[in-house]
Amino acid sequence: MEPMDIVGKSKEDASLPKATMTKIIKEMLPPDVRVARDAQDLLIECCVEFINLVSSESNDVCSREEKRTIAPEHVLKALEVLGFGEYIEDVYAAYEQHKLETMQDSLKGGKWSNGAEMTEEEALAEQQRMFAEARARMNGGVAPPKQPDPDQTIES
Amino acid sequence: MRQAGVYSGMVSGGRTGPHLLPLARIKKIMKKSGDNVKMISGEAPIVFSKACELFIEELTRRSWMVAMQGKRRTLHKDDVATAIVATDIFDFLVDLVSSGNSINPLDFSPVEMETVLES
Repeated sequence: MEPMDIVGKSKEDASLPKATMTKIIKEMLPPDVRVARDAQDLLIECCVEFINLVSSESNDVCSREEKRTIAPEHVLKALEVLGFGEYIEDVYAAYEQHKLETMQDSLKGGKWSNGAEMTEEEALAEQQRMFAEARARMNGGVAPPKQPDPDQTIES
Repeated sequence: MRQAGVYSGMVSGGRTGPHLLPLARIKKIMKKSGDNVKMISGEAPIVFSKACELFIEELTRRSWMVAMQGKRRTLHKDDVATAIVATDIFDFLVDLVSSGNSINPLDFSPVEMETVLES
């Protein structure tokens, strides 16, 4: 059996990952149903053939509209032409959902730059304060070699 | 005899979430689909990914119905082949299955057919 996942085999057609495909197949079926190996392979082949078919048609749709790039609208039109019109609604919904999610990610990135609430001077002052507190705590526990502070609150 | 698990699985669909097929792989297949394939927008493979999912689901469901008719709990290649032949929109797949091992009764004489059935 040839490994199907190796990219770059010139004459071989690219295929789809078996793991993902198997997951989709299994989720359609009751849990106790098994799928024979050859059935799985055939299903994957069919899917590749499906992409080929819809791609060709999308390409034609794109040409007819005198566009240079195959866009989602062309694919949706192709699906309809080929008899898969039932898919269009779900496909479009998934596409919109994906766009929304991608947009949210880029918005989140933008938010970070507005998140800082302190100016630099304030941050510096805060830092000095924390160092002072820490120093005080340390002086309380251990006899420091140097005692720069005039108040010797704990040291005897 | 009731098979409790079967129907509920079909109704809920059993989907746990969207499965995105690898977009680069899809793009590769698209490019090989013909001689003069145009440039492909970044979003087109996303649309394909979902369409493929729906396609596989439909083919799997139909194949499963064939298996059920044969009272089997394992999906075989022939079940898929039968589903393909029985569905108009899957006509484009007929070539994939006819050159395989599926037996076409019309290809055999009655005597030969009996031999085939016995094996």
